[in-house]
Amino acid sequence: MAEDLVLDTAIRDWVLIPLSVVMVLIGVLRYFVSKLMRSSQTPDAKIVREGQVMLRARNLRAGANFIPSKAFRARKIYYCNEENGLLFVPKGQAQNPQAQMFSDPNMAMDMMKKNLSMIIPQTLTFAWVNFFFSGFVAAKIPFPLTQRFRSMLQNGIDLSTVDVSYVSSRSWYFLNLFGLRGLFSLILGEENAVDDTQRMMQMGGGFGFDPSKGLSVEKDNLDITQHDWALPNFEQRAEDVLKKVIS
Amino acid sequence: MVTKTEESQLKNLEIQVDNGGGGAWEFLSLVRKLKVRRSDKVLKHGLSILNDPKQRSTLGSEEWTLYEQVAVAAMDCQSLDVAQDCTKALRKRFPESKRVGRLEAMLLEAKGSWDMAEKAYTSLLEDNPLDQIIHKRRVAMAKAQGNISGAIEWLNKYLEIFMADHDAWRELAEIYLSLQMYKQAAFCYEEVILAQPTVPLYHLAYADVLYTLGGLENLQTAKKYYASTIDLTGGKNTRALFGVCLCTSAIAQLTKGKNKEDKEGSQLHSLAAKALEKDYKQRAPDKLPQLTTALKSLTLSS
Repeated sequence: MAEDLVLDTAIRDWVLIPLSVVMVLIGVLRYFVSKLMRSSQTPDAKIVREGQVMLRARNLRAGANFIPSKAFRARKIYYCNEENGLLFVPKGQAQNPQAQMFSDPNMAMDMMKKNLSMIIPQTLTFAWVNFFFSGFVAAKIPFPLTQRFRSMLQNGIDLSTVDVSYVSSRSWYFLNLFGLRGLFSLILGEENAVDDTQRMMQMGGGFGFDPSKGLSVEKDNLDITQHDWALPNFEQRAEDVLKKVIS
Repeated sequence: MVTKTEESQLKNLEIQVDNGGGGAWEFLSLVRKLKVRRSDKVLKHGLSILNDPKQRSTLGSEEWTLYEQVAVAAMDCQSLDVAQDCTKALRKRFPESKRVGRLEAMLLEAKGSWDMAEKAYTSLLEDNPLDQIIHKRRVAMAKAQGNISGAIEWLNKYLEIFMADHDAWRELAEIYLSLQMYKQAAFCYEEVILAQPTVPLYHLAYADVLYTLGGLENLQTAKKYYASTIDLTGGKNTRALFGVCLCTSAIAQLTKGKNKEDKEGSQLHSLAAKALEKDYKQRAPDKLPQLTTALKSLTLSS
């Protein structure tokens, strides 16, 4: 069964290479289109402030032992008190991001743009590949593989007798779709690579995080932070240092 | 923060460029990356690149970055004509840009037309109320005009939003110090220490403020911070050594007669005095008598 299937060179010239070239070109085109559509979003003052509050509270937690206990206590109260502490989030005011998204049409718009720039070209190219190139055996990998790779490499060919190392055209399309990231980062610069896989991941796992939740977590952390002033130890250490200097 | 290797790299490049060894663009890039202030050199070498069309075209789109860098450097050196030319070139290339708008406002500021600069900054802030650089420019402008209370006001407004910016806290602390508002300054230094707990300079500054405030508790705390400075610098900071001596003698004066926890503290004091003496012997032997009398007067008074 494994006798060689001879692949027509025309398949290489008219399926394999065009498919790859088209995938690259579409990737580049998509990058520029999404760059055009990207609206420069101005961050909301409240969100920026919350981020900064969290950063400062984290600093306080990390460096608590380096300031006198009076100063620490004052700050702790300032952050954590139940009336107007910086980290205190009144109940009910904690918006969930879903609701926020609906209340802010801009945000929804942005999401849609992002998704559109991803989904439309993908469905189009997939349809195009399906229409023109379905059913080709486009390439052969030079090493044998186990049966489990069949669904990955021979998508679109329903023949269980073909050796697994042959790659169907549709599978070639998928390989290109996910494997061209390195090439894009070469062409378009490091950060600009169109990263489909990552975006899909983002799509799956909820939108962003909830700042108010972060605040209350930080508040709890700060509440249980014990203050243990580190400075008295420093006197001893300074003495040791000086003894070394003098000797 | 500029690391040691970067500093030496910068120095080498600077010498090389000054002696006509080429590498001007690398030098300028490094200055930009490290955000160091070498305005005269930047102006000289940057301008020579900009005036040479061949060199300029090899930069590609980096050319405009260079224009901006040279413009700012020129403002710093009061070569307002150069700054004006650079800004104009940028404006021609980017007619809509806010960044150029900021540059123009800075040019107005450099010329001393405060009102117009203020107006320009305000309109820029309306478009983007979270532009940190413009907020900071405003503080700097108030300070340059001698309007210290205005600077404090702006800085506080800025810190209300960007409260994790420790450089701003330090600036505020220094302004408060210049107005002798030590309590406020102490708060700011605490904030700075929280952000970077292992920088000895902040410990030292905080200790200075506490010592100036006076009072037994503050003095004891100040002494601890001087001690931590000594520890963090490996005993190389003369000011901290003196600080320990001064604090000890001041504490002794205040607790005269009570005399309870003096014993272990006095060891640090004498050690610091010895370290000072050794240091002076090595580096400034002719000042040694002055030091001994000064130290003696401190111990005498205790």
